[in-house]
Amino acid sequence: MTHSRNPLVALGTGLLLLTLWCASILVQMSVDREMAPYRESPEMLWITSGKVLRVLSMGQQSLLADVYWTRAVQYYGSRLRDHKTDFSLLAPLIDITITLDPQLLVAYYFGAVFLSEKAPRGAGDPRKAIELLQRGIAANPDEWRLWHHLGFIYYWQLQDYSRAAAAYQEGAKNPKARDWMKVMAAVITEKGGNRETSLYLWSRIYDSTEDPSIRANANGHIQALQAQNDMEELERLALKFREQTSRWPDSISEMVSQGLLKGVPRDPAGFRYRMQPGGRAALYPASPVRPDFDTSPAPPPAASP
Amino acid sequence: MIVAQTLAIARNTFREAVRDKVLYNLVAFAVIMTASALLFGEISIGIQKSILINIGLSSISVFGLLIAIFLGIGLVYKEVDKRSLYALLSKPVHRWQFIVGKFLGLNLTLLVNTLFMSLGLWASMYYLTRGFQPEDIHIWTAIYFVLLELFLITAVCLFFSCFSTPILSAIFTFLIYIVGNSASDVRDFGKLTENATLEWLATLVYYLLPNFSDFSAAGLVSHGLPVPGHLVLLNTSYALCYSGILVIAAVWIFSRRDLK
Repeated sequence: MTHSRNPLVALGTGLLLLTLWCASILVQMSVDREMAPYRESPEMLWITSGKVLRVLSMGQQSLLADVYWTRAVQYYGSRLRDHKTDFSLLAPLIDITITLDPQLLVAYYFGAVFLSEKAPRGAGDPRKAIELLQRGIAANPDEWRLWHHLGFIYYWQLQDYSRAAAAYQEGAKNPKARDWMKVMAAVITEKGGNRETSLYLWSRIYDSTEDPSIRANANGHIQALQAQNDMEELERLALKFREQTSRWPDSISEMVSQGLLKGVPRDPAGFRYRMQPGGRAALYPASPVRPDFDTSPAPPPAASP
Repeated sequence: MIVAQTLAIARNTFREAVRDKVLYNLVAFAVIMTASALLFGEISIGIQKSILINIGLSSISVFGLLIAIFLGIGLVYKEVDKRSLYALLSKPVHRWQFIVGKFLGLNLTLLVNTLFMSLGLWASMYYLTRGFQPEDIHIWTAIYFVLLELFLITAVCLFFSCFSTPILSAIFTFLIYIVGNSASDVRDFGKLTENATLEWLATLVYYLLPNFSDFSAAGLVSHGLPVPGHLVLLNTSYALCYSGILVIAAVWIFSRRDLK
């Protein structure tokens, strides 16, 4: 038996194969068009358990986690693109991802943002985001940035300042944590109205850092908090003065003469306080102390792993 | 003399494997898989390098498994079928040397293949990151674990090929691999039953079957985390012990086999 080596035969065979392949593409495209309405089905997860998937992964759970994280990203992206507000599969996809690979930090960082952002930019479920970050912290205790993201969600999404401050404070205990974690904890505590805690936190920051800018910042906050305390006390005494004399004091000297104060108090920078109409205490205009001192960083961007 | 003879069998096994075209196809496919990781990383967020390492390690593992199984199942059967074994055993060569030589030869094949695939992975990483990080060194530990796993699979395959047909050996080995990857789940299942007998049986199965689940370090190294030194020692010891058991069992079975 002999084989033909005629180049024309080879060319003809090649052309035939190419033609058939092109024809198969056209047919497949027609089939796709015909079947499109029947293939439309609600998005769903056939296997919702990360533990089951871990068993099925045959030791390749880390790769499977990457695949599921990519699915989560694609799902989120397609929802944004299509302006859909239902992100019901997002949480299960992220849950599977971190069950398969608890060290996949990017899933916690970005997943928390995807979950917490209000619709249409996210699932609008900050509680789920908090659960996610808490799982991340449990699995990655050295990763202080997770505390930062947790604090941010409490602060920004839930306005739960005490928990936000607690998260920053807890994260700041990590030796690798940046100094501004402490700053954030104190600032949030201050804004949340618990001044004594803020004063304590700022004092700790002042004592524990050698960074001059952070020390100056901490000192500014400490002075502001002390001044706020002093002015509150002065206003309380002014009220007492009014009870005794039926009028507001015009100056602090009047309260000294009345025996309510032993001397004219000074702010942490050494300037005298002054009284304003209506019994309101104020700082001397030339005083460098600012009661609203706040040069702390703005709430950080959440998606910064 | 005995060592030289055994090593000669190992060398021949390696040469035979290298001549096998299926082997080349699998290696080429593994390289393509690793290269595809570069593309895959583009459609996700923040895992470009991690996914490259994971796909690379998974490719090395999966294609190594296929090579180990498809070459391992024919290690003994092919020699008997082609009757080349009779020529070999007519010389002053012990049967155990034949088995040990075959085991070492296939492992050498896997080692060389793994090294080539690893080079492909490192090249892809360099292409992606334009440099290496100090923590990338831990990837070698994960590759070493894959090799240990493959050595164990080779031993399982060799064991079955001593008394079974290639098809059945492949099925048995693959099943052992599946169950071995879920070994800890088998034990946990026993605990869940709250039945002392079932729990005891599940624990027995857990220790009886080879445990492959501990050889996966991709999850750690893909995040730049080191593999604990004691785990390297324990996994090495486990692979040596279990492979040793299987090779000795294979030698025992093959020594008693009637080759007429």
